[in-house]
Amino acid sequence: MKVSFNWLREYVDIDLAPDELGEDLTMAGFEVESISKVDTNLNNVVVGKIVSLKPHPNADKLSLCQVSTGGHLYSVVCGAANMISGDYVALALEGALLPNGVKIKNTKIRGELSQGMMCSEEELKIGRDSQGILILQDGLELGKDIASALNLEDYIFEINITPNRPDCLSIIGIAREIASITGKILKIPKIEFREGNEKIDKLTSVEIHDPELCPRYSASLITDVTIGLSPFWMRRRLESAGIRPISNVVDVTNYVLMEFGQPLHAFDFDLLSERRIVVQRADDGDIFTSLDGMERPLFSDTLMICDGEKPVAIGGIMGGLNSEVSEDTSNVLIESAYFNPTNIRKTSKKLGLQTEASYRFERGVDYGGVIRTLNRATQLVLDFCGGKAAKGVVDQYPSPIFPKEISLSINKTNKILGTSLKKGKVKRHLKGIELDVKDLDRDKVIVKIPSFRMDLHREIDLIEEVARLDGYNNIPTTTPVVRVNTAGKNPAQVLQDSAKDILASMGYLSVALLNLNVEHPYKRFVSIKNPLREDQSIMRTTLIPGLLNTMKTNVYNKNLNLKLFELGTVFYSVEHEKLPKEKKMLSALATGLRYGESWSFPGEGIDFYDIKGSLENLFEGLNIMNFSFLPTPDIPYLHPGKSSIIMVDNTEIGTVGEVRSAVLEGYELSNNIYIFELDFDLMVKHTFSDKKIKPLSKYPPIYRDIALIVDESVQFKDIYNAINKLSNKLVDNIQVFDVYRGISVAHGKKSLAYRIKYQSYERTLTDKEVNNIHEKLVSNLVEKVGARIRE
Amino acid sequence: MKEELERLFAEALAKLKSAVEERQVAEIKTEFLGKKGKITALLRGLVNISQEQRPVMGRLTNEVKVSLEEKIKESLAGIRERKRKEDLLHESLDITLPGRRVPIGRKHPITEVCNEIIGIFLGLGFQISEGPEVELDYYNFEALNIPKDHPARDMHDTFYISDEVLLRTHTSPVQIRVMEKQSPPIQIIAPGKAFRCDSDVSHTPMFHQVEGLMVGNNITFGDLKGILTIFVHQMFGDKTRLRFRPSFFPFTEPSAEVDMQCVICRGKGCRVCSFSGWLEILGSGMVDPEVFKIVGYNPNEITGFAFGLGIERVAMLKYGINDIRMFFENDMRFLGQF
Ligand SMILES: [Zn+2]
Repeated sequence: MKVSFNWLREYVDIDLAPDELGEDLTMAGFEVESISKVDTNLNNVVVGKIVSLKPHPNADKLSLCQVSTGGHLYSVVCGAANMISGDYVALALEGALLPNGVKIKNTKIRGELSQGMMCSEEELKIGRDSQGILILQDGLELGKDIASALNLEDYIFEINITPNRPDCLSIIGIAREIASITGKILKIPKIEFREGNEKIDKLTSVEIHDPELCPRYSASLITDVTIGLSPFWMRRRLESAGIRPISNVVDVTNYVLMEFGQPLHAFDFDLLSERRIVVQRADDGDIFTSLDGMERPLFSDTLMICDGEKPVAIGGIMGGLNSEVSEDTSNVLIESAYFNPTNIRKTSKKLGLQTEASYRFERGVDYGGVIRTLNRATQLVLDFCGGKAAKGVVDQYPSPIFPKEISLSINKTNKILGTSLKKGKVKRHLKGIELDVKDLDRDKVIVKIPSFRMDLHREIDLIEEVARLDGYNNIPTTTPVVRVNTAGKNPAQVLQDSAKDILASMGYLSVALLNLNVEHPYKRFVSIKNPLREDQSIMRTTLIPGLLNTMKTNVYNKNLNLKLFELGTVFYSVEHEKLPKEKKMLSALATGLRYGESWSFPGEGIDFYDIKGSLENLFEGLNIMNFSFLPTPDIPYLHPGKSSIIMVDNTEIGTVGEVRSAVLEGYELSNNIYIFELDFDLMVKHTFSDKKIKPLSKYPPIYRDIALIVDESVQFKDIYNAINKLSNKLVDNIQVFDVYRGISVAHGKKSLAYRIKYQSYERTLTDKEVNNIHEKLVSNLVEKVGARIRE
Repeated sequence: MKEELERLFAEALAKLKSAVEERQVAEIKTEFLGKKGKITALLRGLVNISQEQRPVMGRLTNEVKVSLEEKIKESLAGIRERKRKEDLLHESLDITLPGRRVPIGRKHPITEVCNEIIGIFLGLGFQISEGPEVELDYYNFEALNIPKDHPARDMHDTFYISDEVLLRTHTSPVQIRVMEKQSPPIQIIAPGKAFRCDSDVSHTPMFHQVEGLMVGNNITFGDLKGILTIFVHQMFGDKTRLRFRPSFFPFTEPSAEVDMQCVICRGKGCRVCSFSGWLEILGSGMVDPEVFKIVGYNPNEITGFAFGLGIERVAMLKYGINDIRMFFENDMRFLGQF
């Protein structure tokens, strides 16, 4: 909320500088987000008084004025017509530079000397009115700088009012807090005016058909008002609060709204059929045109203010076009009411219409202040719009709200806060915010809650007030007794950390992707009713599109060598379940040069075996032992010849492969990209926790190599398995060390070279013994897989 | 003969002195000490001298031989040392060329900061809890004392899946889920993702929070201040000043916003802290009795505090990042810096 420093000072004396006040308010729970200085930059513009006025001898539309600044008389030629002799005006003298760029000089206009200019609000940029010159209130000190005479210099506080404090959505509410902080007295304006003789009950009536939605409705009536501009200071204050001035009557209702926090509404009394008010619910499907000209569909729980035959306002939210105060209005009915907060909020949401009024009603206004604010409005209308007030007010209050009484235990207060506050101090704090406090027993007090503090309804609410008023920073800082816990992280959390560490050590950068997505390769996706953007309208079912998008961003920025991963959640809807299933997935992408651009590494591109190697390292690092890769042509987004299903202990836990170019086109990518995606929850289940080491042999191993030429269709694993099957227990390890195609190998064939490690754990092997075993193995192998030995 | 011996010794030393290569030293060795060497010859000639002179001359000749061998060794060592130095000189590399780096990966700054935060609270005896990201309205709002049609819902721009299901707007629902399952004392943190439909320089539709909850028999507001002070001191240095100021959250009362002294300007005032010298870092408060009632605890016996902090916010302050969206753009040039 925007709060003017000058306006505040009308209700409480403030000795503090604006920034000190801001600090104090923040520490009292009213966070001041900014303080901006209002600077007019007006020099040589002073208060003047027109002492004589006559027509310009040589021009019909101009007049010749003598303007006094106390010590001096100036001759001023003026083109406006709204002033008379005796008016106080803003006089710009020679040397003044107006905000619109006009420089004031002594000059002759049509032969007459003009020593300055009488300005309009608009010319001084202190208001919007440009119809005539600005007429000031009488009695200002002549010759005084206009900025200080009109209190134009101000500070606007932008204060964040939390939803529990609707009482502070008003200048007086904030002033009350300042009074409590600084120990000053709150000065509420005196409300006095002359009532007419005619009783209001004779002129109008109010009926409430729904006391639940409208517990209280009051009205006053002022006849014969003159609609026009409200006084300069009032318009200026409204503008400082961010409210656009409209006309004097409407401005008064808004002024009181800002002053006391009570929304009011003014009706053109003559436009109310049967000159009465009926408060009742609308019918479903009714249409109503609100003040802003919008046609609004109504519901059976929309509370409407009606006249004798039709709705004239949406209760607590916005008035109607059909009863609006206009230039022709001469009789006005002013409404001051208390509406059911929850229903106002529901209606406001349904209509998609939030106003200054609905914002306050839905948080709860001061039900006890309804009449006071009504009278304040009547007073100001009489002051600034003329007219005559009917005698008394209408006050329908079918379901009265009574002030609450809450007991507060000082012991409990201290127990929750960790303080040792004395009862006397607690009482002083509560009395400082106008609460009525009486002793109940040695420990307890009984607190009567004023009507403007609806947020206080439990003991804990009072404890918070005590803490707030004593100052949070005065509460001693202590350390609780801490429990010794067995384990901070569960095994899955530990495994996540390890997986991230291992991938990072292999060059993968971890990324953070939005869980929101557009692709939905799976049918059971969860969609968002109110997405911010079309491409963030479902909860992701896979991390791959996010990785590809990340790659796209990076390729755009010329980052071409990428290894990325994310460990994150995916979502599937589950039949008959309210909440979707959430699953952790681990996905990675690799593309570009294996070692990046470097003067010393060969510029080789990443291929399938790089990402497969990453997976092998990952599994071993996470103690996932029994894994294997099965070729598959069936994954729609992966190259059929370069993709694989990943199995662990006969369970499928993921896929790996090269992304199909057709998929990449959608991302405007053309690079070779390799990805894997793993079901991390399954990985957690298959990690092997009680790992035991294999003993080391004390005896030297013997290595023998074997190179086989085989058909392209024969796979490494076929031969590996064959060797494994044929070998005796002395074969300790089989490793492939060369895969060769080209010269000396026929087309359609390849050479696979294996190195076999012979190892005993009991004795030293001899060459002869190993040669025998190896030769037997080779000949068996040749026979079994139809291979030829490469010489 | 003695003179002859001394002359030969002197001659050998002179030659050694001018020798610059190992080969020359070897030649000198052969010339004087080899099988046919000059000194070897003298030794052999000892048979020709008188019986009583022989031991004296023998010892003398031997001494010269030993001493020459010593000198030859020294000379060789000297030459080798010179040679090694020369070789090293020729072998020198351009050590200013960049090293051969196998690219290593990095963890995302959010992960790093989150781990740091978790580490601090694990050290204080907290356990880690988790909850779903797609959550029931009940856990996200109602059980946290935010009924439907409460104005506090305005503080949360919520993504809805259905009337009852939404993307959690904070990590606070984990509080309820934990308290429903466990009885006090409870001491947990719950790191995780949260969602709000909001997107600008300081908001992303998804962000990360760490929730904390400590509940027991005698937990006070002073304890809340104590734990959070320890946290901020460990995270940002123990000279960092803190202040607690009143605020409003429907599920805590009293509620407190925690500000810490601006880490950029050290409290003097700068753009980051809007010239206030303070930065908002945490929301916190004593668990509202309403919440205890909802989970079936007796609010007359049990007290506790809860807090929540934004991980992005902490990471932004720690690394001087001014646009929250950078975390989710995943530009390698950004990620590679952590
Ligand atoms: Zn700063």
